[in-house]
Amino acid sequence: MAKHHISTTINGEPVEFLCETQQTLLDVLRDELGLTGSKEGCASGDCGACSVTVDGRLVCSCLVLGVEAEGHSVETIEGMADGENLHPLQQKFLEEAALQCGICTPGFLIAAKSLLEKNNNPTETEVRYWLAGNLCRCTGYDKIIRSVLDVAADMRSA
Amino acid sequence: MRKESPPDNNTARADLIDKVTGGAVYASDIRVPRMAHGRILRSAVPHARITRLDVTEASALDGVVTILTGEDMATLAQIHWGLFLNDRPVIAIDKVRYVGEPVALVVAETLEIAEAALDLIDIDYEHLPFVDTAAAAIAPDAPVLHDVHDAIADFYFTGQAKPVAGTNIFQKFGVSTGDATAAECDAAHIFEHTYTFPGVSHFALEPHSVVAAFEGDDLTVWSGAQSPTAVQKVLSRVFGIAVANIRIIVPFVGGGFGGKASVKIEPLVVAAARKAGRPVRVTLTLAESMLTCRRLGATMTLHTSLDKTGKILSKRATILLDGGAYADTGPAVAAKAAHRIIGPYDIANLEIEAKAVYTNTVPGAAFRSIGGPQAVWATESQMDEIADAMGIDPVELRRRNLLPRGGEILDTLRPLDADIGDMIGRADQAIMNLGDGAAAGIAVAATDPGILPLGGALVRVLVDGSIIVMSNSVDIGQGVRTVLREVVAKMLNQNPNSIQIANPDTSTTPFDWGTGASRSTVIMGLAVEDAARDASDQILALASSVFDGAPNDLRLVPGGVAHGDEFLPFQDVYHRAFGVDSGEVVGRAMVTPTRDGSDFKKSPLFWETAVGACDVDVDQEIGTLSVTRYVGVADVGHAINPSGAEGQEEGAAVQGLGHALFERLDYVDGQPVNATPIAYRVPAIGDIAKRAHTVLIENGDGPGPMGAKGMGEGGILPVAPAIANALARRYGIRIRDLPLTPERIWRALRKRGDDAT
Ligand code: FES
Ligand code: FES
Repeated sequence: MAKHHISTTINGEPVEFLCETQQTLLDVLRDELGLTGSKEGCASGDCGACSVTVDGRLVCSCLVLGVEAEGHSVETIEGMADGENLHPLQQKFLEEAALQCGICTPGFLIAAKSLLEKNNNPTETEVRYWLAGNLCRCTGYDKIIRSVLDVAADMRSA
Repeated sequence: MRKESPPDNNTARADLIDKVTGGAVYASDIRVPRMAHGRILRSAVPHARITRLDVTEASALDGVVTILTGEDMATLAQIHWGLFLNDRPVIAIDKVRYVGEPVALVVAETLEIAEAALDLIDIDYEHLPFVDTAAAAIAPDAPVLHDVHDAIADFYFTGQAKPVAGTNIFQKFGVSTGDATAAECDAAHIFEHTYTFPGVSHFALEPHSVVAAFEGDDLTVWSGAQSPTAVQKVLSRVFGIAVANIRIIVPFVGGGFGGKASVKIEPLVVAAARKAGRPVRVTLTLAESMLTCRRLGATMTLHTSLDKTGKILSKRATILLDGGAYADTGPAVAAKAAHRIIGPYDIANLEIEAKAVYTNTVPGAAFRSIGGPQAVWATESQMDEIADAMGIDPVELRRRNLLPRGGEILDTLRPLDADIGDMIGRADQAIMNLGDGAAAGIAVAATDPGILPLGGALVRVLVDGSIIVMSNSVDIGQGVRTVLREVVAKMLNQNPNSIQIANPDTSTTPFDWGTGASRSTVIMGLAVEDAARDASDQILALASSVFDGAPNDLRLVPGGVAHGDEFLPFQDVYHRAFGVDSGEVVGRAMVTPTRDGSDFKKSPLFWETAVGACDVDVDQEIGTLSVTRYVGVADVGHAINPSGAEGQEEGAAVQGLGHALFERLDYVDGQPVNATPIAYRVPAIGDIAKRAHTVLIENGDGPGPMGAKGMGEGGILPVAPAIANALARRYGIRIRDLPLTPERIWRALRKRGDDAT
């Protein structure tokens, strides 16, 4: 079967790739484009380890087909830091031990960034709701919640 | 000579930065040239003889490289492998023993082709009677899963399993002191209760992933393995390859918790690579990882006698563990459960028997504090039941029986090195600080980590002052790299940022037993400390030939060596000593049971202790329970990486919350009905207590560097019984079976209502 030719933007750069119909966006990112920062946990939309944004909307890339990326703009963890400068969420996560094994971390960071872009003053409950689709088996979540709230406060006062 | 120079700053926590930028390479990210992809056909039946396995059509599919089946096993040096019993074939041969057991492995050019080929494999079974509970497995007429018990001694843990011939029992372990029966005759009260703890999944978010590649006789394996040298040893036996020709590389590991300890899918993937004649990668799905291993379920009956003042006179316990289809490290789990069910109490008369049995279910394996959560669930639930029945406050009942620091839980074990009474006091205080008064439920625990003090390390001080630490301790998220870096930085008086911790790689790095049982901070911590001391001695000896001074006038300072206020960078020391502007110093060390200055003869090396205190709220209409406040207390000796240590305790507590409220691998007719990430519920962010606090006690009295004890397992122990005790206190219902599901709570509330009217 012929592969599909897809034109898209990834982390601000125009990217073209070939993919099979059934390949997910996550497969394409990891296997075709070598962007392995997005992780595959469950492959069924239950863990959020594969979180990316498509045109600014937070999605599980394991539930999006590669072909659906045609003409859209995808942001992944690899695009979160500005060169050598970590995003404040990245900085806070590593300072506050909001990560342990780190396999869930790219997903949490992408999801948290997307929250703060929509709401720079979230309550703890709002943080919990927004991150409800991201599982972490290591940290116990508390340090993740604190980090997101702290970064929100820092960004507001900046 | 120059003045002291500022240290370089080039490798600042590179591993952590990689984890937040997506740059960290995990086992599942490994790709090697010419790699083919494997998918596994798994048994759909619990117990059967394979009567036909036809791969002709599947093999003919374009892009299929090869298909591994039981027929290929004849050429192995050793067909069955294990950690205590050689009971597990590399892939099913003639027989399957649980739903999920690998029966064929398709290797293909792409995953999609491998997947498609699975559907073309023809397999017929002759069904055999099966057992999917431990109770059924020990019934007199139960089908026996394994005809022979090939027990091997001191293979991975010290000791040997004691299977019972002709039965499903693969381990029997007893503890007996004093005379429990006689003590019961003098007792004022005797309580007997039975508690159950189900099999639960590790649910590490990164599934098992292995790449295996042969180059001539040399085998390289990339695996998310917690015990690289155990993998190496088993592969050596199974494939008849010298240990030196097997290289195990462990990248970052996306969660382990014991589920990637010892050996898991590595022999299978290596067999496929050998047959395929090219590198093979197998990355399981999370659902497949759930069919690979789990915590052993347990049924525990406690028979406890007390005098009229509430002093415990005796305890008898029977522990029946569901070990699944293959023993794995189940024999050690049984032995530990028998110790861990005693609790930190002064009990003169004990009669404990633990049995682990084969069932036609997912193999049991190590999981954070082996046997601990099961045993502590029973013991600490019963303490509250006894207190309630005798009209004594539950904390007071514990205080009447607690061992002091230095007391002996068993006279064969090291005396207790923590003050549990003080820990309870701190838990009380901390929960009061969260507001709304005292805790509704508490539980305490003391467990004996099964640590083998055997592990080595190298510390290489390079010419420019950068340092590489080579250790086989695996970064599974516990922060071992940060700890080792701190230890070396301190010993060599160098900036932590100049120190890199290399990935575990058996070809370059000394033996270490493995990463688990809370041992790395202590054992690997001491190994790198000793290796750093060795490096320091060598550097100072070199420097003494350069400076006009004896080694003891010299000292290491960041970037080099100082003599008075003179400073010489490492580079200049090496240059003058070696005659060339190059070279390095290699410090080495091997920690063994006879290490100088350590008392490793008695087990455990330290006690892992925990107190949990909580309050709960139940929606009585629907039975859902939420934990409103939670405090965990741990005695860690010294927290080398404080926020990391706190994170370990918090993470452990939330796993305990999952075990308490949600988790159970369910079997119906031999079928695992919820072994998928959709159906199996682990704690999500909304489930954790809104108000929580962790207290770390640091007295610097542990055997590790700077007085550290191992940690990271204790926090899981008290959670379930603390919650059940709070539920009993607040709502008057006692539930003895985990998890505390809404249905169980709702039914208990209804029953309580009926009793009341
Ligand atoms: S991998 Fe996409 S949600 Fe889990
Ligand atoms: S840090 Fe391991 S799953 Fe979140």
